[in-house]
Order: sequence, then C-alpha cells, then structure tokens
Amino acid sequence: MSLRDRVIRVTSQVLNVPAESITDDSSPRTVEGWDSLGHMNLMLALEEEFGVQLSDERIMQLLSVGAILQALGELSGPGANHA
Amino acid sequence: MERVTYAQAQALRDEELAGLPPIRIALLANIVVNPLVAFLRHAVFRMGFQAQCRIGQYDNVLQAALGSEPGLLGSDTDVVLVFLKLETLSWPMARGFPGLTPDQLQAELERVKTYVIDVLAGIRRQTSALILWYGFERPLYPALGIADAQRPEGQLRTIETLNAAVREALHAHAGAYWIDADACLGRVGEKAYYDLRYWHIGKAPYSLAAVREIADEIVKFVRALKGKNKKVLVLDCDNVLWGGTIGEDGLEGIRLGHTYPGSAYREFQQEVVNLYGRGIVLALCSKNNEADVWEVFERHPDMVLQRRHLAAAQINWEDKATNLRRIAAELNLGLDSLVFVDDSDFEANLIRQLLPEVEVLRVPSDTGVEHRSLLASCGWFDTLTLSVEDRERGAAYQAEAERQRLRVASDDLETYYRSLEMVPEIRLADPLTIPRIAQLTQKTNQFNLTTRRYSDEEISRLAASSTADVIWLRLRDRFGDAGIVGVCILRYEDRQAIFDTLLLSCRVLGRGVEDAFMAHCLQRATSRGCDLAVGEYRPTQKNGQVSDFYQRRGFAPLPGEGNGQRFSIGLPAKLEPPGFFSRIESELVP
Repeated sequence: MSLRDRVIRVTSQVLNVPAESITDDSSPRTVEGWDSLGHMNLMLALEEEFGVQLSDERIMQLLSVGAILQALGELSGPGANHA
Repeated sequence: MERVTYAQAQALRDEELAGLPPIRIALLANIVVNPLVAFLRHAVFRMGFQAQCRIGQYDNVLQAALGSEPGLLGSDTDVVLVFLKLETLSWPMARGFPGLTPDQLQAELERVKTYVIDVLAGIRRQTSALILWYGFERPLYPALGIADAQRPEGQLRTIETLNAAVREALHAHAGAYWIDADACLGRVGEKAYYDLRYWHIGKAPYSLAAVREIADEIVKFVRALKGKNKKVLVLDCDNVLWGGTIGEDGLEGIRLGHTYPGSAYREFQQEVVNLYGRGIVLALCSKNNEADVWEVFERHPDMVLQRRHLAAAQINWEDKATNLRRIAAELNLGLDSLVFVDDSDFEANLIRQLLPEVEVLRVPSDTGVEHRSLLASCGWFDTLTLSVEDRERGAAYQAEAERQRLRVASDDLETYYRSLEMVPEIRLADPLTIPRIAQLTQKTNQFNLTTRRYSDEEISRLAASSTADVIWLRLRDRFGDAGIVGVCILRYEDRQAIFDTLLLSCRVLGRGVEDAFMAHCLQRATSRGCDLAVGEYRPTQKNGQVSDFYQRRGFAPLPGEGNGQRFSIGLPAKLEPPGFFSRIESELVP
C-alpha cells in the first residue's frame, strides 16, 4: 500500500469520512470532524501508523492532507512508500 | 492479546455496535483524555457490549459532580471515570512546590482533599455507578531533587499523602475504586507515558501507549463488573509447565527447577498456584500419554503445581477444542469462562477459530522466561473484591469431583442426595454478606432468572429497603462448605412478592437446593402478607436451562409483556422443600 493510500485510510478512519472524498486539499476547512481534537487524533494515529514522531511545530503546520503527505514522505525517506 | 491501532479503534462505528447491551460511561476530567474513549469502546465491544461514552466539559469536574451538566450522570450510568491531574488541580503543589511555605502547603493540601471528597459525594448523589478514580502520578524528578524523598514535607511524600487521602475517600463509598496511576506510569515508562507536545498543544498529557495501558486497566474493572472475568485456567503441559517434552525428554530431561532454564517454569507454576489461591479453577489440556504427565506430578521434585490443585484434566491425543469443551462441561461452566495457555501456534489458532469465546494466552515455545509475566499481566481473572468463597473455590471443585464419584456409587438420586448430608442455610443479607451477594449478581450467568447485575451499594440499599428483601443461600455438606451460593431478591408491591432476582451458583446445581430456597422465599413472602408471588424469566444466551423454572414449580404464565416472561402463583403456595436435606437453617419466618 502506498504512503498516500495509508494516509487516506487513516484519515478516513479517524475523521469518519469516506476515503473517496479525501484529496490533497482536504483540510480543517473542508472536513467537518477535523477540529483541534480531530487534528490531535489524526496526528497520533498517523505517528503510530508510520512509526514516526512529529515535532510540536510540525504538528501545528500539517493542516492539509497534501502537507501531511509531503512531511511523511520526507520523514520516511526515499522508498518509504513501500515501508 | 490483540493490539489494535488507534486508527482501527477509531474506525469502530456505532452501526457495528447496534443491538449489543450498552455500558454507559461518563468521563470527568481536568485534562484531555479523549483518546481513551476509542480504546475503551473497542475493548468493551470485544467483550460484547456497546460503550456509550459521555464526556464532561473540560475542567468542570466539581461542577459536573454537583449536577451542572444534565445528562452526564444519572441512574442509568454504569461507570464514572475521574481524571484529575494535579498540574491542573493544584499548580503550586505539582510545579511550584519549592515556593510554598509550610502554611500554604497545608492549606493547599486541605483544599485539594476537600475538592476530592466533594466531587465523590456529588457523583454518588447522582448515580450508583462504578466510580473509577485515576490517582495522582508520583513526581519522577521531585521538586527538591535528591533531598526531596528524604523529607516528610517533600513533594514526593506530599503527593503520597494526597493519594492516601483519595483512597480513604473512595473507601468511604461502595463501588468506588482507585486506579494506580503509578502502576500504569511504571509499566509504560516515563518517556513513553507523557506526551509533552500534546500536553502543551491541547492539555492532553498522555501518549497513546499510556492511554492504552490506562484503558486496559479500566477494562479489568468493567470486565469484573459485568461478570466477564475468567474463572478457569487451562494449561498445556510441555513447554508451558516445564521446558521440553516429557514424552521425548523423560523425567530427567525436562527443564524445571531452581536454576536456569528450569527456574522460569517453576516461577510460572508458582503464579498458576497463586491464581488457585485466588479461587481460579485449574485444569490440564495436553497431548500426551496420561501416565507420562502424572509421573511428572508425582515424581518430579520441583513441581510447584500439584495434582490436588487440578479440578479437571484432559490428557489424550484428541483435538484440544473437543477437550476444552469437555473441561467446560465437566466443571459446569461456560466456555467463555476459560483461559487456555499453550505454546503452539497451531493449538492457539485452532482454539481462537473454533472456540472464539475462550481467551488464548500463547506463550513462547523455545523459552519460559516470559511465561510468568505474560500470565500475571493479563488481568482476565481479576474481580472487584476477593471473598472467602473465591479463595476456597479450588478446593470446592475438588469436593465436587468427590461428590460425582459418590453419585455413581449411589443407587438413585434421592439416596445420593441424602448421603451428601446437605444443610442449606437461608437468611437475610447483612453487611458481612452484601459484597458476596453483589458479586454473585455480577458473575452468575446460567442459573440466573433475570440476570440483573447489582453493585455492593445497590444491594445495601435493597437490603435496607422496607419494600424489598435480599435473601441468601449457603450450602454445606459432608465434603465442605460451598459458602453463599444463592441469592433471591424479593420486591413487595401491593401484596405481591416479585422475584426481582433469583440465582444459584453453578457449583451447587443439580442438588435440589433451588427447591428448598424457593420454598423458604415463598414462605417469607407469605409471612409479609403477600397473597401472590410473581416470577420473571429474562432470557439471555446463557440461562436457557431455567426457562421453565417457574412453570415446573406450579407457577402459571402471565400475559406477555416485553421480552421477559412473567409467572405467578397464589400464596401460601404448596411448595415444600425436598426431604433429603439433613436440616435447613433459616430465620426468614418469625
């Protein structure tokens, strides 16, 4: 499963939205459950899924699926898509 | 022990829980512990319940306890969780400790103690639910450094004092329990327990690892409350009780003793025997030649587990699912009372697939070093209280095996019953017997006409009520004292006696005591001026064996309502206790 698919799956599970509706532009503005609590839940679940720890600064910046994908891509390094 | 990810736990939707009996949980906290909810819902779902969680407003604990949030606490609440973090409750004591003068510290201590007592009393006024209170964590780097722990007025001992005060306050209420935060903290480890990022971002101090551990601890209480705690430990032998294979390695070749590697198995056996001491019933299920296994029990000098600890054994070459079914039947317990320990993936998976109601503990087959801690940490056997009956249960099952042998020797049932020299004792509840009575309502599934679960506190109230009687049954016979094994709760309404609860422990089924119990309860109702007794049967998956209980005793069905069935009989009823009891001790009727 690609990094994108995993991010979308976790986002869908945590925020309770259909996976098909999630795009790079999905953000607290477009997803109803993505409030501050939802953001914490999403970050915690993604950290667990990918086995990474995001810094507090990073956490506050990752306010769209696109930003999350980019950050996780960098953190996991090249080839991480199949990790 | 299955671990779900946080995303999986969150993904559990309400639709999947539809139809399951609810457990209503209210959460009062001065921190954000919302991630707990997902893990709790999932764990409770695995237990067969639907958790309905209501979360109080952030840092509104005392107000909520005093009723400021309608709908949060009520008579239908099952569990109240309280999380008060000292950082929020008393910043000076938690983080500004060296700046406190002795007088200020004393005042702050008193303020927090009063707060705790008021919160507890407020919750209790609104609900008789189980209260689970998360203690204050010890400071791992106390305020006064290495000198702190040396001083009675240091931060470490101050917080210990506070925790002791909380425990004392909880002890004053029935059904209120303390969760040891330091145990959770210690198991997870400080670095992994606190999530400093979310403490600052969102007042959420605990990591997922911590929340998981806390949820596991809460689930032990819920399991015990709902009578889902396990009662039987079924053990494989080779690579579980000892290292190696008795059939191949022989008595001298197996690993068991005081030194490595046998010491690990000896420690595990001690833990098993400790469970026996807590009232857990032990059994063996092993693919072996029976004589080989018994030879180890009889001749190996380092066996801690003894044959007298075992209530059942299936040692043969048949499949283990069949053998576990036999063990459950022999002990007269449901398969969901069983925990099965095995080192083989094949056997573990077989049981998980064929008998999903059995909890399986898979231990490593190449080493025994983790066996003890795996068993000790599972929590499946935990109960809210430990009664005398619990501690003597193992011996009681042994006595039952003796009774079965006698039964075979007796010509007919009546002669057999007489030979047991049974003495039922039937009395009203008092403070000494209330915990055991509540425990029986929580645990009894099979011979239980209505399966209503009650807390200690609820039983106390019923026992004190002028419109109800709580009656217990104890049974002794020539083999021993089974303790309190039956409960009947009668509610009185307009000259009618209603059987709110009627249950009997499976340890005494099939011995006619239910008829003696019934007869005396009906006499009690008559003596209180009732002219009608109403029995109720509420079907569950487990209590099919008593579906015709009332009809078989001359009760007539009442027109149906709801999913229960009601039956009545005129009083005084012509129901006599069977004649095969040596005597019946009862003080129910003046």
